Amino acid sequence: MNSFWNGKRRYIALLLFLAGVFVALVVPPVIPFIQLAGENLPSGYDIPFTDIRITNTFVAAVIVWILLLLFTVYIARRRPSDGGEVPPGGFYNMFEALYEGLMGFIGGIAGGAHFRLIFNMFMTIFLIVLLSNWMSLVPGIDTVGFIHPHTKEKFDPETEEYKVITTDGFEIYQGFLGISYVNGQCDWISPADEAAADQAALAEAEAAGLAAQQTQIEDAAYARYQAAHGEHGASEHTDEAGGDHGEDSHGEEAVESAATAMDDEVLAARIAEKQARANRGCYTGVALAPWQDGYSDDKDAKKKPIPLHPDPSSEEAKRVPWVVLPLVRVASTDLNMTLTLAIISVVMTQYIGFKALGIGYLTKFFNFGTLFKSPLGGIDVAVGLLELIGDFAKILSFSFRLLGAMFAGAILLFVMSFLVPILPWPFFILEFFVGAIQALVFALLTAIFMNLATISHHHDDDHDDDH
Amino acid sequence: MDAQATIVLGKAIGAGLAMIGAAGGGIGIGISVGGAVMAMGRNPDHTATIQTNMILGVAFAEAVAIYALVVSLIILFVLS
Repeated sequence: MNSFWNGKRRYIALLLFLAGVFVALVVPPVIPFIQLAGENLPSGYDIPFTDIRITNTFVAAVIVWILLLLFTVYIARRRPSDGGEVPPGGFYNMFEALYEGLMGFIGGIAGGAHFRLIFNMFMTIFLIVLLSNWMSLVPGIDTVGFIHPHTKEKFDPETEEYKVITTDGFEIYQGFLGISYVNGQCDWISPADEAAADQAALAEAEAAGLAAQQTQIEDAAYARYQAAHGEHGASEHTDEAGGDHGEDSHGEEAVESAATAMDDEVLAARIAEKQARANRGCYTGVALAPWQDGYSDDKDAKKKPIPLHPDPSSEEAKRVPWVVLPLVRVASTDLNMTLTLAIISVVMTQYIGFKALGIGYLTKFFNFGTLFKSPLGGIDVAVGLLELIGDFAKILSFSFRLLGAMFAGAILLFVMSFLVPILPWPFFILEFFVGAIQALVFALLTAIFMNLATISHHHDDDHDDDH
Repeated sequence: MDAQATIVLGKAIGAGLAMIGAAGGGIGIGISVGGAVMAMGRNPDHTATIQTNMILGVAFAEAVAIYALVVSLIILFVLS
């Protein structure tokens, strides 16, 4: 295994590039449906014997746990029990170097009596956040999953019913081996919109035709008027009624052909538009009845499972927009994950504070000791209350920082993979660094706040007493 | 203009306006990193301490910009 990767296998990069070209040409990339909350997996994938639905970000979190467990077992097995040396090279040594580096780093920041506890929290949070951030770089995550009709229930206040409305999405595309894709080149247009566009084109053509007819008639009349009044001298020819008649019918014919030409122009544009869509492999002119879902008048529609029907190969499938529900979505793009980590971090900070300072830790927040001793005691009370608010603000700050950075990064990767499907690597490198830095910041701030919590405020009191 | 188009228009303008807040974070990060680099140049022995404090300050400044980002993401993808 090692000898395979030790050689100069640079052609692998070329193969990956060619694979990118192939994919970009054959299965054009799609901007996935972007949603901030984690999506529920379809029914049948919920926790057994309960109603609790599993979100795709939860799947990613579970994968992170399993990876961390395997990682721990591997490190523990590789670690020499007699404290001896491990032969250089390999994953274990790399991790050991990282571990020792971070240990020295945290030792410089929080190297007090509670170093072990703080460092354990730091390393746990760092590894969890790092693994879940880096999952966004793995192909297939965020893109491979269940394909389902993209419909939404909307409450109609007039009839007091939930109406199923179809929203934006893509047309379904039957690939080989029975795998379905969403066709990124075909924005879904609802049959109603399609019919309305046809009607509009027809009406416009008709109106244009009528207007043209009008102009043609007026033009002809004006020409006749000109002919009649302009050439008084040569009025002998117009006396013949038969000649007049013939001229009239000729004019009408011209008017008619001009009108059909105008008709054709507007309609031809519409037809060409449809043809262009058809050439891209989209369905066009699907004039079918609106798709009705079975649960449209359900008041409790939110708890209903996402329907996996209609069968993707059926005729019905053409009537609805389809989107992909990824099976695995990066855990740190879900507020639940980041909020949980933030709460754990802040609560553990309080725990370490109480452990280090006992009940006296509370004077950090409720500092009434100096209220009647010094003239500025009121300021200490206000500062203590601000600290209390600040600890709640920390939760928000921690969770939104990680969520914002990783969610924006995920969208960046989507958009860049869509715009430059052949070569989006620079942005993956960027995300690699952003993921590492965000994990470091989250864990480092935790360590620093924990260290601050262990530092007593008593020297201030001593200072006051001296005066 | 139909209602859907108005909603999309409002969302786009609102998200763009919300991201003005990122300017403050950018200025803050620039000032703090500039100061840190100058300090590191003057006394390279204290690079580790300065770097730690710099990352801390940058994280706080960045947090403000990310609040703006989260607001604009919520406007774009959560409001309907």
